[in-house]
Amino acid sequence: MTTNKTELTEKKETSGWQEFWSKEDWWAVWLGLGIVILAYGFYLAGSSISWIAVAPTKWSTWSELTKQFSTNGFRYLSLLGAFLIVFSIVISFIGQKPKKFIPSFIFVFILSTILYTLGNWDQASRYNLEPPLVALLLGLIISNVIGLPRWLDAGFRVEFYIKLGIVLLGATLPFTLIIWAGPVAILQASIVSLVTFLVIFFTARKLGLDHRLAAVLGAGGAVCGVSASIAVAGAVRAKKEHPPIAISLVVFWAIILIFALPLVSRTLHLPTGVAGAWIGTSEFADAAGLAAAQSYGGLAGSHLGISGTADQALASYTLIKVIGRDIWIGIWSFILALIAVTVWERKETNSKVQVGQIWWRFPKFVIGFLIASVLTTLIVHGNTLVDYNKLVKPALITPITSLRTWAFTFSFLSIGLTTRFRELANAGLKPFIAFTVGVIVNVILGYILSVLIFGHYWSTLVTH
Amino acid sequence: MKIFNSIQLNSSGPSCKNCVNFQNDPAFIETSYPGLNVMSSGYASARDQDGFCSYNQLYLSAKDSCDHFAKNKSEIKQKEGRNFQISFESL
Repeated sequence: MTTNKTELTEKKETSGWQEFWSKEDWWAVWLGLGIVILAYGFYLAGSSISWIAVAPTKWSTWSELTKQFSTNGFRYLSLLGAFLIVFSIVISFIGQKPKKFIPSFIFVFILSTILYTLGNWDQASRYNLEPPLVALLLGLIISNVIGLPRWLDAGFRVEFYIKLGIVLLGATLPFTLIIWAGPVAILQASIVSLVTFLVIFFTARKLGLDHRLAAVLGAGGAVCGVSASIAVAGAVRAKKEHPPIAISLVVFWAIILIFALPLVSRTLHLPTGVAGAWIGTSEFADAAGLAAAQSYGGLAGSHLGISGTADQALASYTLIKVIGRDIWIGIWSFILALIAVTVWERKETNSKVQVGQIWWRFPKFVIGFLIASVLTTLIVHGNTLVDYNKLVKPALITPITSLRTWAFTFSFLSIGLTTRFRELANAGLKPFIAFTVGVIVNVILGYILSVLIFGHYWSTLVTH
Repeated sequence: MKIFNSIQLNSSGPSCKNCVNFQNDPAFIETSYPGLNVMSSGYASARDQDGFCSYNQLYLSAKDSCDHFAKNKSEIKQKEGRNFQISFESL
């Protein structure tokens, strides 16, 4: 960073009401809830949004596939058009250029269509072609081997897509499930978060690292990955070079765990709900964990010995990760800021710790997730199971699920497309050791809690 | 109690967000921290309005402050504009 560059860049000031249209979190809420309300409106009118929420269906031969696309070609184009219009509005409001976003998103949409279609091939599971992992691998190969122009990054909005997908996921989960499983999710996640944070923090301190770097690393491993690291970095007034160290380590380990956790779960034949809980406890970032959970959930029914449903993996993952870990980021930031001021005796600044950051840093998309869940629970309430399966599910829930899968696919692909290993900062040996010790403790403790202690709980989640 | 003295409900006085040494543009933060947009975002709520302080070489909150505060030029210009308007109206 140079002074010139600093002066040339326009200063962004978001405060009060402005946050409602300048942050991706709020846009995920507006769009997600907008889709749910629209879907409900069509449902009440005796129709459905299923025409625009087109998605590939199961296919086995080339002729079946070509027939699908020749019949639905216009619907796919319409879906692309709808995404482009809505996302371009979002991009404009948050301060980016739609001119760069549009071609980039078309590229993402085309690749996502191929991946979504591949996942519906009836031989896909036989060749282990789990769409989230294939999306990630393809993205990694494109960005690290082939290379892409930098301006294309405009459309690779991992966090925005995943937050939108999570809000839509809320619409497919009964609120009673959140009430029933939420407290256990919070208990399990809190135990692991506290232990992991303390292990990383004190290992880092033992190795002689700065208090603030130790806190930034600890938050990254314990709470919600890169988002937690960058939030805590701001709260404790970290040195400018601290966040990139945590970012590199989180990205490195998150990508390893995306592949490792489903692989180990598969070897151990864990039920999908249990594996989802473990991934939610031990993965770092929302998008990375969802890729792993969706990938493992997809094995249910096609791989012998793996019980449960795909929805159970997503539900237990989301409950632990979002409700159990993400929502506490403001509290973590506040407490660590307080410790930084009162114990670590910082001298560079003289301001006090503001309580407001508990709300300012709160991941607002969680509000959308909860409201979406309440809305659909109220809508579905009063229907018998037969009515639900015959009427409500195909007209209301299935189209929302399709749009959710699109959003997740955009995100998984974007993780790979934005991960350029050679550009990540060199973390250094000591931070690497401290973080890795935390990862090991986190994974083992996460397994004990998810499988051995609360296993019966997560394997019996009712997701409909 | 030192802890309670360190807590504040609302910021008052000059804060980093109005300082010439502070930069918190989300796009700039994403460019400066490669990998931030892989699993998070410069536009996320969790990041609030944090940014870089080129004077202290820190990454900190926009609501922070220090003894080296220097008013942002655009802010000064805005204020000068307002003063001019007031004096013009008073004529």
